Formats: sequence, C-alpha cells, structure tokens
Amino acid sequence: MENRIQILKDKMLSQPRYVSIEQALIITRTYKEHEGESAQMKRAYALYNALNELEIGIEPEELIVGNRTKGVRYGVVFPESGISWVDKELETIDSRPQDRFLVRPEDIETFRKEILPYWKGKSLEDVLRQRAGEKIDAISKVVKINQKDHAQGHICPNVAEWLEKGPQGLKEEALHHLETCASDKQDFYRSIVLIMEGVQNFMMRYHDLLLKEAAKTSQHASTMKKVAEICANLSRRPAQTFHEAIQSMWFLFVILHMESNASSFSPGRLDKTLYPYYKKDKEELLINDQEALEIIECLWLKFNQIVYLRNKNSAKYFAGFPIGFNIAVGGVDENGQDFSNELSHLFLTAQEELGLPQPNLSVRLHEHTNEELLRHAVKVVSKGSGMPQFFNDKAIVHELEKLGISHKDALDYAIVGCVELTTQGNNLGWSDAAMFNMNKVLELTLNHGKCLLTGQQLGPDLGSLSTYQSFDALQEAFKQMMLYFIDKMIPCCEEVEKAHIDILPTGFLSSVIDDCMEKGLDVTKGGAHYNLSGIQMIQVANLADSLAAIKQMVYDEKRIEPQALEHALQTNFEHDEVMRQMLLNRVPKYGNDVEWVDELGAKWAQFFRDTLRNYTNYRGGIYHSGMYTVSAHVPMGQNVGASADGRLSQTPLADGGLSAVYGRDLKGPTAVLKSVSRLKDDCTTNGGLLNMKFLPEFFATESGIQKFCNFLRTFVDLEIPHIQFNVVRREDLLAAQKHPEQYSSLTVRVAGYTAYFTELAGDLQNEIIARTSYDNI
Amino acid sequence: MTTSKLRVFDIKRFSTHDGIGIRTTVFLKGCPLRCKWCQNPEGLLPTAQVLYMENKCIHCLSCLNASKKQGIEVKDGKICLHREKKEDWNAIVDACPTRALQFDSKEYTIEQLVTEIKKDEAFFKREGGVTVSGGEPFLQPEGLLALLKACHEEKIHTAIETSLFTDSQWLEKALPYLDQIYADCKLFDAKEHKKYTGVDNTLILKNIQLLLQSDKKEHVIIRTPLIPTMTATKENIAAISKFLVSVYPDVHYEILNYNPLAQSKYAYLDMDFCFKENPKLYTKEVMESFYSVAKENGIRNLVIE
Repeated sequence: MENRIQILKDKMLSQPRYVSIEQALIITRTYKEHEGESAQMKRAYALYNALNELEIGIEPEELIVGNRTKGVRYGVVFPESGISWVDKELETIDSRPQDRFLVRPEDIETFRKEILPYWKGKSLEDVLRQRAGEKIDAISKVVKINQKDHAQGHICPNVAEWLEKGPQGLKEEALHHLETCASDKQDFYRSIVLIMEGVQNFMMRYHDLLLKEAAKTSQHASTMKKVAEICANLSRRPAQTFHEAIQSMWFLFVILHMESNASSFSPGRLDKTLYPYYKKDKEELLINDQEALEIIECLWLKFNQIVYLRNKNSAKYFAGFPIGFNIAVGGVDENGQDFSNELSHLFLTAQEELGLPQPNLSVRLHEHTNEELLRHAVKVVSKGSGMPQFFNDKAIVHELEKLGISHKDALDYAIVGCVELTTQGNNLGWSDAAMFNMNKVLELTLNHGKCLLTGQQLGPDLGSLSTYQSFDALQEAFKQMMLYFIDKMIPCCEEVEKAHIDILPTGFLSSVIDDCMEKGLDVTKGGAHYNLSGIQMIQVANLADSLAAIKQMVYDEKRIEPQALEHALQTNFEHDEVMRQMLLNRVPKYGNDVEWVDELGAKWAQFFRDTLRNYTNYRGGIYHSGMYTVSAHVPMGQNVGASADGRLSQTPLADGGLSAVYGRDLKGPTAVLKSVSRLKDDCTTNGGLLNMKFLPEFFATESGIQKFCNFLRTFVDLEIPHIQFNVVRREDLLAAQKHPEQYSSLTVRVAGYTAYFTELAGDLQNEIIARTSYDNI
Repeated sequence: MTTSKLRVFDIKRFSTHDGIGIRTTVFLKGCPLRCKWCQNPEGLLPTAQVLYMENKCIHCLSCLNASKKQGIEVKDGKICLHREKKEDWNAIVDACPTRALQFDSKEYTIEQLVTEIKKDEAFFKREGGVTVSGGEPFLQPEGLLALLKACHEEKIHTAIETSLFTDSQWLEKALPYLDQIYADCKLFDAKEHKKYTGVDNTLILKNIQLLLQSDKKEHVIIRTPLIPTMTATKENIAAISKFLVSVYPDVHYEILNYNPLAQSKYAYLDMDFCFKENPKLYTKEVMESFYSVAKENGIRNLVIE
C-alpha cells in the first residue's frame, strides 16, 4: 500500500464523529425564503444553497476530494425527513448503545432555537405520523414500516450517463425540455437546472480551495494543482480520463447524499462502467496499474467518509453505520458471457489492502466465472474483512426477468445497500419498504391473536395451539393471520410513498435515473423506468424450526400435549426446561439438509411472496420479497415471545435471512447450502442473505483455497442467491471485546455489510461470537 | 441391492482432510487394534454403546426415571452409567431431552448409507466423494465391499482409511472399487507395534506390500501418526521409510502431526486416555525434522498439506 493511502487512512480513522446541523440550518433558512414555492423547488433551492455554502475541506494527499461535511463521518441532521426524533435523542446520541455520535452543546441549543420550531409538523416523520401513525403503530409488532423519517436510498444511479454528460450536459438537457414542457412539469426541469448550477459551483469551490492550499505549501502542491484542474474540468465538461471519471463519480455520490441523506446509493458495476476510461488511459500511457490502484484506494477511503445518522431504534436494526456503497464486480456481459477485467482485480486488491467496511464489495458468480477471478476473490475473503460477498447470476437473472425486467437489464443487475438486487440507473426499487415478522404472526396464531409479551389483542382470534385439531388446521389459521397482516401492511407502505412525493421530491437523483427526464416526473412520483417495492420476511429459519417442532412433537408423535406447550410458551418455559430441551434437541432443524423441515420454511416463504404479488405499489410497480435482516434479527426477536423451536422470549432470531439459527446447523456447510437451496429463488428477488463463518486456518493451504472455490462453484450450481463469509477467530473477537482500542479496525460482517466490530453494541458482539463456525482443519 | 448392514458411528459431511475435494466420511464401528492413543475410542467396540456427555446434561433425571434395572445411578448429584446392566437402553436414551445420552452408533443398510452420501453429490461433482474410515472398515468386510461397490456404481469417488489389519483377500476384493487408499504404518518394530496397538504387524506389513505392488499403488498414501514417545521417534520413521521405499520407491508417504483433540472423547466413555498431560501439536520445526528423516531414508513423495 502506498504511503499516501496509509496517511489518509490513519487520518480518517482518528477523527471523531460529530452530529452536524450545518446543512439543517441552510435548509431551514431556504425554506423560509421560498415559502410559497413547490416542494420540488424548495428542495432544489436548499440543495443549491448547500452546494454553495457548506464548509468544505481537503487533505493535501487526497487524489479524490469531496464530502458533504468538512469533518469526516459526520452524522447530518436532515430536517425535511425527520426532526422529532432528533429532538428526543440529541442528549443521548453520544451514549446510546449503537452508532454513537458526539454532539456540540452549542449545536443542541441552535437546533432547538432555529431549526426545530420551523419543522414541527412539517417533516416527513411528523406528517406521516399525523396521517397514518395509528395504522402503522397497530401492526408495529409484526411489521416494521421503513423510510418513515428519511429519504429513500438503495438506488443505483446511471453512473455511465453521469460520466458522459456531467452537470453541464444534464443542465442543457433540462433547459431543452423546459422550452417545450407542459406547465406542470416546469418546476421539475427548473429544479434540475438550478441544482446543476449548484453542482458546478461546488466543483469549482474545490478547485479554488485546492489552489489556495497549494499556494501555501510546496508539499503535495502538484497533487493539489492536478486535482484542482480535474475539478474545474468536470464543472465544465464530462470526464475524459480515469482519474476524472472517478472524481466525477465521487461528486455524484456526495451530492446524492447531500440531497437525500439516505442510506445506500450504489455505484453498481464499476469494473464495467469505468473500464473505457481506464483502457483509454492505459493505451495512451497516461496511467499504470499502480497509479490506477492508488486512485481507486483514494476512492475506497472516500466511501468510508460518509456515514448516516439514524434514530436509536433504526440504528438497532441497521447497526454499524451501514451506508452501502455497493460495487459489483464480475458477472456476465450483455451477451451472457463471462465478464471481468483488470479493474475487477484492482478493486479486489484495494479491498485486500485496505480491509475497510466500505465499499460493500460484491462478486457476481455464474457457471462460467473464470478461475482467476474466483481465486482472487477467495484470497480476499481469507483476509477476514468479510468481503467480498458473492451473488449468483444463475439464481438471480431469470428471476429478475420474471418481475418484468428486460433481459438486458437483468443481465446487468447490481446490488444496493447490503444485498438488495437492482437494475442499474433506471430503478426506484424501494427495496427496504418493510420487514414482516412471520414468527410474530405464528405467535399470534398460537395464542388467540394476543401478544405473548403484553397480552394485547394484535390480530384476530383464530384459536390457539390447543384448539387446532390438526397440523393442517393450524397452518390454515397461520395462513389467515399472514393474510390479515399483509393486508394491513400495504396501505401503510402506500402512505409512506405518498408522503415522500409530497415532502421529498429529489430533482438531482431524478436527473440520473432513466426516464425521469423524458417524462418530466420526479423519481418519487414514479418517474423511473422500473418501480418496485421490496419487503423482507423475518425469519424463515425460526419459522421452519417452530412449525417442525409443533408438527413432530404435538401432532405426529404426540409426545407433548398441545395445552402443555401452549402454557410453556405463555410462561417462557419457566417450569418447562425439559420440554424446551426436547424441542431444541429432539426435532430436526432448518439448515441440516432435512427436507421436510426445510420445506416448511420454503412453503411459507413462497406463500408470502405469492401474496405480495397480488398488490401493486403506489407508483404502479410490483411488490416482491427479500430474505435478509441486516441486524434486525435482534430487535425483531425482542418483539417475539417464547417460540416452539425452544427459543426463549425476546431472544434474537436467526441472523442473515437464509441462514439457520446459530448453533443449530450441525451438519456443516454443505448441509446448510442444501437446505437453503430448497427456498425458491423467486422469494429473494429483493435480496437474500446467507452468512457463514470460517476460521482462517481453512485458507492456510492451497488445497483449502481450492476446496473453497469448489464450494462456491457448487453454491452457484445450487442456485442460492447470496453467500458471505466471516473469517475470524473466536479468540480475536473475545480479545476485541476486552481491548476495543486495540481492535478498532477489526471488521466483521453484521449482515449484508461490514462494520467495525468494536462499534457494535455488546449483545450484537456476543451474537456474532456465538455464530457457528466450521473448523475442519 | 445387498442385504448387508453396516454399523456406523459417525457420518461427517464437508470433511476436507480425508482425501481430495469435499468429502463425506463414514466412520465404521469396531476395530481389532487397541492403539493407546486411539483418536476415535467410540469406534473401538463393534457393538453399540451409550455415550454420556456431561456438558450437555441438565440433570433433569429423565434417564433415571426411564431406568428399570439400575443402569443409571445418581451419585453425589452426578449421573453414573452402568453399561453392563441389562437395561432398556433405548428407552433411557429416548428419554434424554438434550441428547447428553446417546448411542455412539447406528446401523444402516447400504441403501440408506448411499442416500446419506449422495446428499452432497452436488459438491462431489467438482472434486470429492466418500471416505470410509473407522474404527477399522475391514472389520465389517461384506458390508464394506457392498458399500464400495454401490458408490462405484453411482460414480462417487471412494477413499478408505485403514489399519490394514485384515485378511488380504478382503483387501484384494475391495481394491477395484477404491480410488484412493490411506493406510497406516504406525510402528515398524514388531514388539513395539504389539505393545502400543495390541496386535502383531506382520499382516499389516504384508498388506502394505500387497498395496504397493498392486496397480493402485499410485493411489496409496501410507501414513504414520506422530504420537509422542510412541511412534514419534526418528528410528521408527527411518525404519518405516526404508521399508516402504524398498517395496515401491515412489511411495506416497505422509507423517501426521499429533492431534490433541481426542482426549475429550475419552471422558464420554468413562475411559482413560494414554496421556495424563495431553501433549501439544508439534511445531513446524519439529515436523520438518521428521520430514528430513523420511527423506534421508529414501522417501521421494512426501505428502505435506
């Protein structure tokens, strides 16, 4: 690794994280100044002013510049989306269990005096609460509705088009439309013109700052002058070189975050998008691979400098500051042929050298992935940063087509956020619309629709474990309960979308999503070419285990009386430890290649997915499903009482989404893959997540690496959509708990992303330690 | 399909150390040897035994309640097994909610075993297959032969791990169905062999000769497990090496590091382990010195992972 990169990395990691209200002040002032204008224009003015006014900074060593705050990893308060929670949590944000930020006392005062009063009742969070708070609360123990207090992210913009046109080109395009468009579209185009002018100014401000700093010192002056020139070029014309392309792309992502403050805008298949620039520079001898790698690593560092401020509750579900700059390498090309190039390998090398949580690096595998790429990827996995994760074209491409996505776009899929699948540059996938807790639904089915934790009547009374005469009758009741909650969930999702249209139009984002410009329609209003909504089912492993336990112990073998189990669940097995052990140990579990158990999970996953397909979202698109939890299996588990799989009340559910409950997969990794392969791929078009942990010894030998490659080849054959690996020692994790200061760069995969282990809350740390590992060497 | 059955004490999937690729290892129960250091003591007796894993036990006394003939006794709060009692051990094991009590083995038909092995067929397709281990697989020769034939028919790559303490005719019959053979040569000196393994090594050495002169000789790996103070002497490695080379100069020979993990298994069976102080793995340097001895004595194809 170059010295420059080490210096920049050290600087970045040593900086404390603060809450920033700088942009909130600008937004508030702008809104007051433009009171009479449309939301589209108010938002555009606010972004324009932020681009012109936000304090900016550079490091002399940087080859890639730009951030949305002067400090790195600041949590930006964003009043349009959510303000009430900030007010409630400001004093505890530096001490909360997950994802802490420091807060300057004077900022708290300013916030309450100048920002809060204006936004009360106007922010997305407040408006949604007024409009649909009761509806959302009524199902909140079963369904977590997302995007209630922040803008929608999880989007892959059209990076290629941005590089080809730049702000000047897009401004001209909007101006052109403005000449002929209908009056109701005028604000949309006006907003884009205004924002692009702001973008050009923003680039020039970096140019000016770099020249000013370069004049002060001789050290790194030439670097700063070169980068200054790149910024100036980009403000006027599209990118022409590899270095310019990467800088241009980074500006795009910084500004997307400035506009939306949302989680996860993903660059997508950069080895494909950036390749023409790289190739041209290589051919013209403007760059060698070492220089290219240095630029890439500077970009990689940048990906780690934007974090996302969530509320306390949300931080539990999405722990470890995930921001999801997801980059996919490999896969197939537009003809379905194996694709990879020098950039794919340079990206892997950058990850190997830096080992940081971002970008979220993904490798697309398929039946003909070349051995070189696979082996390189496995070598990077063995370094233990939890990356790259692997996606399976064989399980994904044809399923995306079934959603109405064209063959060409499906072949070119990328990943957003953690593991969510998307087409590139043309899709508002709304992939994190809600999480649906099937285990809570089972609890209510077994207990007259009443919550085991509070006794509250949450759903209809369809009977209880002791009143269902057969396992089939129980399953029929479960089906009714599922339908009841799915039907209650959809209107809540619609309310969220409506509120986004009213409050959070996003002109800048719309300019880089296909069809919005032509239609003159904001992306929130359905301007994108594809409009999907994704809902996650939580958690099939526990559900399969619980249903299997009931089927075998109560109905088939009749070893446990239904009344006795019902009572045990109500009392959290207080006097029924023997029964609990029976349920845990004497019934086969999901993840062990036991077909009838796995099929119970597969059946209900399929039911959930099929039911969703009966609904159309507010933008006229399809609802589809995903199976991943991020870190939500911990708080989602807190909502669920004792369950028939022997799980104690309020303890975590299985992690991942496709994974077995930790410690219950006793037949090793091949059995896990076989079990997971029984879940149909149409259930995971929004993303699936399978976690596995291997100890580093496995990779110590050539034959170990070869075996691992073959394991992944079979993963492709079995058509499993996703897999990722933690390669750490248990001792490492225990030591990191004891001496966090010595392990500040230790990264682990929490779910679909990598976080710093020491920044996770204690229970999540323990949870990671408890996950099964396979030590076969 | 044959009517033979096999008593199996474990089926381990994703075993990555017993041959090429990803494998399923089937451990057959019963062994004629009594190596002091045995790694799988639960595989020694040819009959089923009850295992007791105290760390899994919640002391619920379900076993005591199921016991009719004093097979289970509680002494000072501890569960004691009297395996010699004519008990209904099935009922006792079935009553245990945590599987702290379980049979160490299960009888399978060949068909059942093949079904079990084929579960990982998708992984074998690239590279891998089944490895039959033990105990001593040749202690159940008819069943073993039937299993190997069945796997062969299913085009599953087969490997075996054997002590070679078996009538040569069985070895000859099995050879056509074996793709890879791991055979132990633990001690060369006859007296020492008898002392530490309980049996004479004449038959073993004869069978090694048979293997290394057969048309499968290239697929044979002879192994010596290093057991401190017993097999792990320079003299022993030198003698074995010389012997092997004299039979087949290109013999593949592997020296296995000591495996300290077996100790915990002895407690489950109320048996004593050969070491009071469990020795540690040999360091890389010490391993190198053993490799040198082998090489100095003519070994050309030393297998090192």
